[in-house]
Amino acid sequence: MSTPLDELSELQGKMAHSLQALQAAATVSFGCSEKDAVYREDKLTLYRYRPLAPSANLPPLLIVYALVNRPYMMDLQPDRSLIRRLLELGLDIYLIDWGYPDGADRYVDLNDYINGYLHRCLSVVLREQQLAAATLLGVCQGGTFSLCYTALHPERVRNLITMVTPVDFQTPDNLLSRWVQGIDIEALVAAHGVVPGDVLNAAYVSLMPFRLLQQKYVELLGSGESQAQVDNFMRMEKWIFDSPDQAGAAFREFSNWFYKENRLLKGTLEIGGQQVDLRRITQPVLNIYGKQDHLVPPAASTAMQNLLGSSDYLALGMDVGHIGMYVSGRAQRELPQAIVSWLQRR
Amino acid sequence: MGSERMTGDWATAMQKAQSELLRQWTEMGSAWAKAGAVPPATAQAAAAPAPGVAAGADDIARNFLRQCEQYLGVSRSLWDLLGRASSSSDAEQRARLFTDGLGGLQQQFAGLWAATPFGAPGIAGANAFAPGAALGMPSFGMPGATMPGFAMPALGPTRESQESLQHLGQLGMRCAQAQFQVSGQWNDIIGKALRELGERIAPRLKSGAPPASMKEVYDLWVDSAETVYAQAARGAAFVQAQAELTNSVSQLRSAQRELIEEWTRQFDLPTRAELNSIHQQLRELKAALHK
Repeated sequence: MSTPLDELSELQGKMAHSLQALQAAATVSFGCSEKDAVYREDKLTLYRYRPLAPSANLPPLLIVYALVNRPYMMDLQPDRSLIRRLLELGLDIYLIDWGYPDGADRYVDLNDYINGYLHRCLSVVLREQQLAAATLLGVCQGGTFSLCYTALHPERVRNLITMVTPVDFQTPDNLLSRWVQGIDIEALVAAHGVVPGDVLNAAYVSLMPFRLLQQKYVELLGSGESQAQVDNFMRMEKWIFDSPDQAGAAFREFSNWFYKENRLLKGTLEIGGQQVDLRRITQPVLNIYGKQDHLVPPAASTAMQNLLGSSDYLALGMDVGHIGMYVSGRAQRELPQAIVSWLQRR
Repeated sequence: MGSERMTGDWATAMQKAQSELLRQWTEMGSAWAKAGAVPPATAQAAAAPAPGVAAGADDIARNFLRQCEQYLGVSRSLWDLLGRASSSSDAEQRARLFTDGLGGLQQQFAGLWAATPFGAPGIAGANAFAPGAALGMPSFGMPGATMPGFAMPALGPTRESQESLQHLGQLGMRCAQAQFQVSGQWNDIIGKALRELGERIAPRLKSGAPPASMKEVYDLWVDSAETVYAQAARGAAFVQAQAELTNSVSQLRSAQRELIEEWTRQFDLPTRAELNSIHQQLRELKAALHK
């Protein structure tokens, strides 16, 4: 059994090591797979990834990421990249990078994002590929957008894959939703115009403040991690806090319509004057959720099943959390093959 | 727990070692600051950014150092208490000494948590949707809040300006009250978390199998705190207090901007309202083009 002085002495050594490793990690890079911009509009860029393997002869995949974080989490580093694994399996991948909205985007609303930007990005993909429909892979809030889009334009989506995607925004275990109910969203948006990403970050870390604001740094301090592990930590840290500001109008609509009024679940959601009826989604749907996800609890995502018109629905629960879905070893090993196998069967 | 760890002047020695460690951190931080890399945690604490403002390695390292300092503070206090409790030969008394002693840590722990830019009640970490304070925006101690007679009706040629300032003062008061409510919630959480920790450790003290390291005590503390917090954060009182703080900060921020815009207009400078108007016009034009 060690004494406190032993422990402290050991800690001191690890601390010095960790600090040096942290300093060296200041220049870590993000994103690893080569890609080309094929379309730009306002702040967004549509990328197409360069192939890494012979084509699997599957429809192209358009990844629709969330507005609230940066999409490089899908391609963080060579050994933690869902995109890279999918490329290695022969998929043709496009990704929408929404960019960083600024004060000029305060009036951009959900209709702009879904019926505007997303629609035009998909048009570019379909035109390039000379196809009538492609596969959408929507992630988190991007999954919700993809559901809405598919319901509004079902003829342009061949398969739909959703990852950590909320549909029921008021499940009892959704702490974030509980907090939002009392917030005057109008006043918040009026005060900021474009809602700072820091506001959202503060909300996310407040879900588990003792762990996320202190213990994880203590773990890094006391672990004496290798440089590679500290680099990984830094990449994650960068991603977590690299949160774009949110266009005020879209934020207001998303908070009120989804979190406060749960319109998607209730079937009362309208985007651009059109009702979003999930029963119009009759194409195959693969819904991937994290069993340990505290941001999008499993029930929030699996609620989708009873709302869709599709008879070809598969829910794939992974034993990971929200972030683990992108970067955990288990997800890296199992998820890409599961996606490709699912696509091949359709 | 070995008696050699709980007797003698180990606590003094440990304190000395901690001070040395802190000194080394500070020196290292200063060296980094000079090299343009990482400002020292201690010197920069007051100017530290809010969570999520971590724009780069500097912020991360600074936050990291701060968390380490806090970790040592929390761990040492718990370890000291554990040591004092373990010195008793009576099992019941060991447990009682520990749980009773936890009550004395309430203020210190609340203070420790509040010392970070994250955890301070009324600041972003604790009030996710009230980023104003964390972002250095509204000050609740603004002049209007303490202006004598700010509730009196505004009169005379400057009544409009007076009224704006009065409104600002009222909003400042509202924010301060909301902050007070949230602080109360956090004090409750810390108190309950300490009791939860006592309930987890007391049986182990009774059975003679206390935590074996400071890290283990610390991890137990975090588990206890998160357990209590998860429950409290769902409670109506916490949700209401947090919402009121967020909403009042939003109102205050908008009122501040209106006042600034009023001054800006007097110098014929562009305002946010003007820009918004232009953005709306551009948006309409763009929509027409897409049609």
